Amino acid sequence: MSGERQREEANQHDDMSIKWRDALGRLDKGSDQVVPYAAEAVLLGLSSGPACLTSCGPVVVPWLAAEGRGFAGTAVRLTVFLCGRLAGYLLFAALLWTLGLALPMPPRPRALIFGAVHVALAAALAWYALARRRGAGLQPAALVTLQAKPPGPRSTPALLGLLTGLNLCPPFLAAAVRAAESPSLPSALLFFFVFFFGTLVWFPPLILLGALRRRTAVAQVARITLVILAAYYAYLGLISLGGVLLSA
Amino acid sequence: MPDRIEKPPPRRLAKSLLLTLPVLLWALLMFSGTLMLPGRASKAAALLALSFMVTLFLLMMRTRETHRWRRVFFVALGFLFPIGFVWELIAVRGSMSIPIEQMLAGNTPFCFLAIPMMIVPAALTRTIIFPGTILPTPGNPHSIAVMIGLWLAATIVLGKGWCSFGCFFGGLEEGFSTLARKARIRNISAKWRLVPWAVLAAIVLLSAATFEPVYCTWLCPFKTVTEYVEVRSLETAVQAGIFLSLFAGLVVALPVLTKKRTQCAFFCPFGAFQSLFNKTNIFDIRIDRGKCADCVSCQRSCPIQALDKASVDAGKTLLSCMRCGACVDACHKQAAFWHIKGTAAGAAPERARLMYLYAAWGFATMFGGSIIAGSLEKLLGFLG
Repeated sequence: MSGERQREEANQHDDMSIKWRDALGRLDKGSDQVVPYAAEAVLLGLSSGPACLTSCGPVVVPWLAAEGRGFAGTAVRLTVFLCGRLAGYLLFAALLWTLGLALPMPPRPRALIFGAVHVALAAALAWYALARRRGAGLQPAALVTLQAKPPGPRSTPALLGLLTGLNLCPPFLAAAVRAAESPSLPSALLFFFVFFFGTLVWFPPLILLGALRRRTAVAQVARITLVILAAYYAYLGLISLGGVLLSA
Repeated sequence: MPDRIEKPPPRRLAKSLLLTLPVLLWALLMFSGTLMLPGRASKAAALLALSFMVTLFLLMMRTRETHRWRRVFFVALGFLFPIGFVWELIAVRGSMSIPIEQMLAGNTPFCFLAIPMMIVPAALTRTIIFPGTILPTPGNPHSIAVMIGLWLAATIVLGKGWCSFGCFFGGLEEGFSTLARKARIRNISAKWRLVPWAVLAAIVLLSAATFEPVYCTWLCPFKTVTEYVEVRSLETAVQAGIFLSLFAGLVVALPVLTKKRTQCAFFCPFGAFQSLFNKTNIFDIRIDRGKCADCVSCQRSCPIQALDKASVDAGKTLLSCMRCGACVDACHKQAAFWHIKGTAAGAAPERARLMYLYAAWGFATMFGGSIIAGSLEKLLGFLG
């Protein structure tokens, strides 16, 4: 009895494997080497994770410190941030393929896209730092007065994650080059998706920033840091956009 | 107005000379190499620098004042360092600016201000992000290893005392801060003291992200009087503009208006980084609340606002204290005193001061004294 059941289960497993292979095969018609493809993405993510961390660091570290939450609150915000970053990755891959741009991207659209992203990132950082300075975030003032510690806007981590996800950091470029070689959009998306999971292992240590909870001076320093970083990203963005406008 | 009755009398000359003897011997050892050189200019410069350092220490011993005489050395170092440095650059390259080709060749002289930015990239990737050389080369004698070694030794012994006895930039603003008789700007918000920590966080994070020493590239006011990347593009023009603005504002104008070391107090990320080593350093300055008359002389005298009411009430300075001794000298009740951690507070303050000064002045003579001698040699050689 149990032997028949085992055989049935094995058959079901084989069917699932075939279905899964077919599905993945449909994702990438030119290739039946999904596992090596995904493994490559994971390994790329794992090996370039420190670079991802340092690339996102200027945004995520001072922002988490400015939030001043405990370990659990920091972990939640970090997760939302990372989801935003994943969305940024996928959006970029989709944009790349939809617009039919191949890497290396022509200088003009590249300067436009990343100039705009940097300006948006600068605006988000400055707005967040100054809004937190007033202690209100996006919340209406009347509600804030009812709370001992006003919560920051819930969209902030996702927005910051999205904007840093769209940044041209070296690991991102490496993944983009590899994904660009894929013959279809879904396979490129898959590559970015798996690559993202490879980089994830480097981010949990940031939860330790929760230890800085209730340290007012640290939160103040973090907000000033965000303003400085906003100025830096604004400069990068405006220089890029200015170059495009001048060359037009 | 605080009375001056309890100011200690000068130390006897014989005892002062005896206390100065170790510094004299150390200075002779330090300058012996230069004194043996054949040129008259180098001999004269070494002799001048040696006399300068020994005389100042003698005055510290005789008058029991630290800050007043330290400041003379520090301002001299601040103004003479750029002269010697730029002189050397012009002699070697013909210009104060460093071309990108020279940077790529690793010929950028290393400066201690880059140290905090190098830590994260070095830890993660074993890469030094400064375009210099680890060991001295004919093209670049100011190597990374030598400077880090000197900084580390001084930091272990002095903590943030580096900013009072070692930094070859701080003397410029200290000099400008002494120009005006009275401060035009007095009430400076305590929140400005947080800015150096924010600048430190920003440059450490950005340097790790961009793999370049961001402070050196974008924010160092002292590029104005040392070297900067040759202006060949809009970006380098913007960088040069930032350097000039920060120098004019933080190193010249604000020190004159506030009589404070404003760049050190409200901007320098290295100072913030160095403050961390005050935790591991054995020397500190304490305030005896029993003697304190709440005259706030110590708070007014501090060049970097490292004392406030809360810290005085707690009997100590803030973490950012750079051990210059200004508050101790300014206190007419002798409530502020030098202290060695782990010993009874106020038990032997003069002994603690002497121990600190031997370490600090020993380093100052070796490092700052040799810089002063080098610059004097160039000036004397020029004058014939």
